[in-house]
Amino acid sequence: MRHPDQAILALHAGGDLGLWARWRTERHVARCEQCRAEIAAFDELRQTLPSLAETPELPWNRLAAEMRANIRLGLAAGECVRGLEPDRPTRVFSGFRAAVALASVMVLVVTGIVIERPAPNSAPIAARDTGIVVQTTQDGIQVREGGQSLGLLNPTAMQNDITYQVGAEGSMEARYVDSNTGHVVVNQVDVD
Amino acid sequence: MWISLHARAAMVLLAASVLTAQESPLSTGSFNVNLGKDAPVALVGISVGDSHTSARGAALVIDLHTALLTLRNTSSNRIHGIALRVLSQEVTLGGKGSVSIPSLDIGPGEVFPVPIDMQLMRPSSVIGGPLVEVSLDGVIFQNLSFYGLDRLNSRRTLTAWEMEARRDRDHYRQILSQAGPEGLRQAMLEAMARRPQLDVRVERGPAVTSAALASERTERFAFLEFPDSPIKPVEGWAQIAGNQARAPSIQVLNRSAKPVKYVELGWLVRDQNGQQYLAASLPGSDPNLSLPAGKTTRLEQETTLRFTREGKPVNVESTAGFVSRVQFADGQLWVPSRQDLENAALARTLPPSLEEQNLAAIYAKKGLEGLIQELKRH
Repeated sequence: MRHPDQAILALHAGGDLGLWARWRTERHVARCEQCRAEIAAFDELRQTLPSLAETPELPWNRLAAEMRANIRLGLAAGECVRGLEPDRPTRVFSGFRAAVALASVMVLVVTGIVIERPAPNSAPIAARDTGIVVQTTQDGIQVREGGQSLGLLNPTAMQNDITYQVGAEGSMEARYVDSNTGHVVVNQVDVD
Repeated sequence: MWISLHARAAMVLLAASVLTAQESPLSTGSFNVNLGKDAPVALVGISVGDSHTSARGAALVIDLHTALLTLRNTSSNRIHGIALRVLSQEVTLGGKGSVSIPSLDIGPGEVFPVPIDMQLMRPSSVIGGPLVEVSLDGVIFQNLSFYGLDRLNSRRTLTAWEMEARRDRDHYRQILSQAGPEGLRQAMLEAMARRPQLDVRVERGPAVTSAALASERTERFAFLEFPDSPIKPVEGWAQIAGNQARAPSIQVLNRSAKPVKYVELGWLVRDQNGQQYLAASLPGSDPNLSLPAGKTTRLEQETTLRFTREGKPVNVESTAGFVSRVQFADGQLWVPSRQDLENAALARTLPPSLEEQNLAAIYAKKGLEGLIQELKRH
């Protein structure tokens, strides 16, 4: 027996299918216990969502920023890992992907309520957000890309004792005397 | 049911990854130190100090705090500098850095510490393997011979630092012999006070149109020339708008008899009060540069620099440059002499060199007598 995919079942649970698709799905569901269970699960999820929306004082902006950061980094990480695998054709909206995406959103929302997570650094960038930015901060050297803070170096020396050396090609050095060893240490960030 | 199980598993995994977003200390097993089989240094020990990891969104932040590698010089030469590559993830921005220690003097068989104090990031989805990989990029010896993979151009950097260190030590020895201990003390205090630093923000890539660029002007470089420099700056300009300088372009001539493979200029800016600052070093953008004798080339960078000091914009009135480092095709290096820097009044503009920082630390810790002993030592 060929089952409707997850997207169809989800739409059916919400009553959002067209006439013909709804008739076909209802026919299938009437004789398929597995798909009835899936629809029930989706329906249960739908019942939960409105109550979540009513939760007072949710830090939506913070959650949204966190989710954007997660998605951005997740995509980057995925690219790293995918580089080793041969390309193979995939269905863009497979049932499994839809389920995982929905589950991910749910987990992020619920976790955001439970845990008050620190927001990503949202210090304003006055200039363009498209390129890579290397700059000194009170904590050391910071690397930013697309408005997201992605890395920094923070030597333990007193900030006043650190000499920064900038390379116009996008490198930056922090030069300081390590208080424990007495050695001059050069930490370098290079965005290449 | 198969799909449902996988979806639930994914939910559990996601929830687990978020809920474990707490700091956890690093262990020595988190480090993989790869010095190479025939390396002139051997690992004696690792101390992780207060290093720890924490989750930030989908990233894992690795905070290497007071971590310390203890190495032994297993060669028969004295080590004068070392460069290590520190990596958590090759392709992630913020995933790699380097630690270098110049101004060393480590004899054969001697043990020395290498502090690692930095923050790295990597996607938390990358699992397996050590969190931090430390590899040896290069070692410079007393006789200026070099060992290492040189992926970070450590050979050029460590050699230049060593040459500058010898130059500066000679300079302070000369002061000691001519002006005595009190003259040396005065010179050391002046070097320690020499910190006319700008806060510089570097933005890579071509600029976009903005209101700030509407008032942009083309400013020609003035050049400070050193008679013995193998490279002569011919002409150059940068685009200036307020506290922003971008797209420097400088034509240089190889006036030596040998082909040159690397040229670096020091980029100076002057504010409206006449105060001059070192803005940045300006290397050529061509990694495969080969400049024959008597020929010219252009050093260009698609980059924008913004200058502030104590949080306030520093508007650029004029810009200047000087040749700070040249490497010939045969590997030999040229750096400006102390006399060059003094004559061009650069000695007071440039921040303290690495060797001056080293000598100042010795003076602060051991006093004038300790500094004199250090200068006499080597």
